[in-house]
Amino acid sequence: MRRKSLGRPYLTIVEELIKFVLSIFLLSVLVFTLSRLAPGDPLYAYYGDRVEKMSMEEQETARERLGLQESIPVQYVRWIKGAVRGDFGISYQYKRDVKEVIAGRLGNTLLLGGLGFIIIFVLALFLGLFCARREDQRADRVVCGIGTLTSCIPDFWLSLLLILVFSVWLRWLPGSGAYSVGAEGSLADRGRHLILPLSVVVLGHLWYYAYLVRNRLLEETRADYVLLARMKGLSGKQVLYRHCLRNALPSYLSMMAIAFPHILGGTYVAETVFSYPGIGTLAYESARYQDYNLLMVVSLLTGSMVILGNLAAKLLNGRIDPRMRLKTGAFKEEAERW
Amino acid sequence: MVKKRFPKLSLLMLTAIIAGCMACRYMMTKDPAYMDLANSSAAPCRAFLFGTDAMGRDIFSMIWYGGRISLLIGFLATLISTAVAVFVGSVSGYAPPWADDMIMRMTDLILSIPSLLLTVFLQAVLGGTGVYSLAVVIGLTGWMGMAKVVRTEVLQLKNTDYVLAARCLGGGFFHILCRHLAPNFVASILFMVVMNVRNAIVAESTLSFMGIGLPVEVISWGSMLSLSENALLSRSWWTILIPGAFLVTTLFCLTNLGNYMRRSVNKRHSNL
Amino acid sequence: MDVLTVKDLSVSFYRESGEIEAVKHVSFSLRAGEILVIMGDTGCGKSVLCKSILKLLPDIAKIKTGQIFLQGKEITHYTEKEMQKLRGTVFSMVFQNPMTALNPCMSVGAQIAEAVRLRNPELSRRERQDRVINLLELVGIDHPGERAGQYPFQLSGGMAQRCVIAIALAADPAVLFADEPTTSLDVGVQSQVLELLLELRKKLGMAVIFITHNPEVAAQMADRAALMRDGELYRIGDAEEIFGKTIPNNCGRID
Repeated sequence: MRRKSLGRPYLTIVEELIKFVLSIFLLSVLVFTLSRLAPGDPLYAYYGDRVEKMSMEEQETARERLGLQESIPVQYVRWIKGAVRGDFGISYQYKRDVKEVIAGRLGNTLLLGGLGFIIIFVLALFLGLFCARREDQRADRVVCGIGTLTSCIPDFWLSLLLILVFSVWLRWLPGSGAYSVGAEGSLADRGRHLILPLSVVVLGHLWYYAYLVRNRLLEETRADYVLLARMKGLSGKQVLYRHCLRNALPSYLSMMAIAFPHILGGTYVAETVFSYPGIGTLAYESARYQDYNLLMVVSLLTGSMVILGNLAAKLLNGRIDPRMRLKTGAFKEEAERW
Repeated sequence: MVKKRFPKLSLLMLTAIIAGCMACRYMMTKDPAYMDLANSSAAPCRAFLFGTDAMGRDIFSMIWYGGRISLLIGFLATLISTAVAVFVGSVSGYAPPWADDMIMRMTDLILSIPSLLLTVFLQAVLGGTGVYSLAVVIGLTGWMGMAKVVRTEVLQLKNTDYVLAARCLGGGFFHILCRHLAPNFVASILFMVVMNVRNAIVAESTLSFMGIGLPVEVISWGSMLSLSENALLSRSWWTILIPGAFLVTTLFCLTNLGNYMRRSVNKRHSNL
Repeated sequence: MDVLTVKDLSVSFYRESGEIEAVKHVSFSLRAGEILVIMGDTGCGKSVLCKSILKLLPDIAKIKTGQIFLQGKEITHYTEKEMQKLRGTVFSMVFQNPMTALNPCMSVGAQIAEAVRLRNPELSRRERQDRVINLLELVGIDHPGERAGQYPFQLSGGMAQRCVIAIALAADPAVLFADEPTTSLDVGVQSQVLELLLELRKKLGMAVIFITHNPEVAAQMADRAALMRDGELYRIGDAEEIFGKTIPNNCGRID
């Protein structure tokens, strides 16, 4: 190996950090402005129907107290001043610190999304390999057909279907919530509540990724190096696992890094239908009831997850793919020599 | 790749569903909006082929009537998103690198906001829960992926000799876009257009189901399903399963058609 | 003695649009240690002929008629499993474009080592590494220890082709198929690779089937030559006999 230039990687990290902060800042401006432009009165979120009984003056003072009176830029500056200190304001709807509201639910979403992600990650690879090995044979066609069908079922309807079958008809599994009242500490109970939403999350995303893996692998089987590998005396299966998979893996890993926030976002619909107390239900409620402070934090959380996912994808690709790995260091020198 | 068999069955079923919805006047056995409260949540029988919902409306008639709205939203939204995507994508691909970089960063930024939130925002800003405003909202949230594809294609095409020749002859941006670029990327976005129709229909039904799309009075496949919470309690499975089955069938047929249109990754045969 | 004999071989591709006859009733035999050049225009079926002997063609291609004998034993209807044993031990192949033939995600050392391990599973890790270095030296690569750790994209075309040859030699083959091994290389490098192949043949005594569309290359390499056109092998003979008198007009142009 050749000498590596030391300055380069650090520069990239600083660069990416600046980009990250900038993107988050832009996102916050965008969400802030858009949500303030939206018609609808956040007072309703705070006081509910009582607003209608309030006099104009009472409404004015209430607005002033919540800081809803000033122009949007002024409100934004005040928000960001607080945000830098870690103060994201109170949720109008829950009348508690936004951080508290979110902290209570983030774990649930991460559990659902994280478990879903891991299952999808493994199964997609497995299914992709399974189908790629049997390209255009009956097993492949059947799996592709079923997969396409599942990818066509909207998440909310799949949730309804599962609730109807497993909790209404068969009464096997609970159809809502994250735990039964009075059994908060029981792992088995939590697990039982998790099965249906988890199935929705997995089934809703699995085929998309499995199909990508399959097609990526099939693309690889057309490469010339497959012939060379077979000339060495490897069987088709060995070539697929040792050579094609190795070439498809970097793009799969970087794809899955981007997929993590995507799948986490995909839990939102399932959460809503199953009344599962997570970020998704919060996001939906806060947008619907103009709970600005909550909405901001939920959006920023999701946004930063997406950006971090993209960053992770980039870094992963740089580490796994030898072509990318050397682009920053030794290879560049070689290229400059020419 | 899987041999490209033309999905005859999918096309046939899709045509049947679209035709049925277009000719809903002749398909309907009852007034879909009439609330026959005496027969609410009636199971499928001879009078009500697919049963009635909690408000006593005839589901068989609602499916054809509501399908029209769902499909309309699907196509309208796709029209809008395709137009935006082609415009943004080709401008970005054609623009100088710094502008291209900026536009793509903005696209990624918008892409990073969860689409559900984005739709709710736009829905609130544009106001109204009408069919057209919903179509616009869904259309405006679904162009990003396609714009990226168009940009990549334009980037590849813009340095080809025939585009350079057209520029040398003094062809303007729109002339080059319509005459030289568009014919080349049509094939690669056709698949995405069909998928966009599918996604728009899914978006409509999801939003309406969650109560932020079309209200219950405006009949669509999504709004029909928004009553399903009651249905779960009253165990009237037909109000969930039947409209859903129509929805899924339509989506499935669209996907099959879309997959058929996708240019196969590689026409070559496997070396394995 | 004949290492490889092909009798009346016909290969067809069956597509939806119909049958395409790629190789028609081809017969030839390959003697031990000789270089047989198969020459013909692009698309005349020479590459398909090679791959059909090795059974490396996609499923839509079928051997219609004919027999293939390896050292007197018929291998026409060998199963995939049986063919696997022959590939990498008796048969080896060098491909047209070394840049795509090498796996871009594996170091060339690892790729050669894989071939060595399949041929000689009994070798220890150390011995295998030594063998890789030997092979790299054999194909004329300087600093083999360093080169073994490099990836294909770090190598020049000629260097990469030498690595592909090293992989082919790891099998210690009786028959080496060379499918236009110099076509994608620069002219200067071409002659180096050709000389390397001649030298290796002398050293290792293997028989070579050398495919090319270039008559100059053919004349330089051939002990014997076979001419193909439209899937038919219409002339076969000693090199002097074929290149000495006339260069057939369909191969006469210089690409």
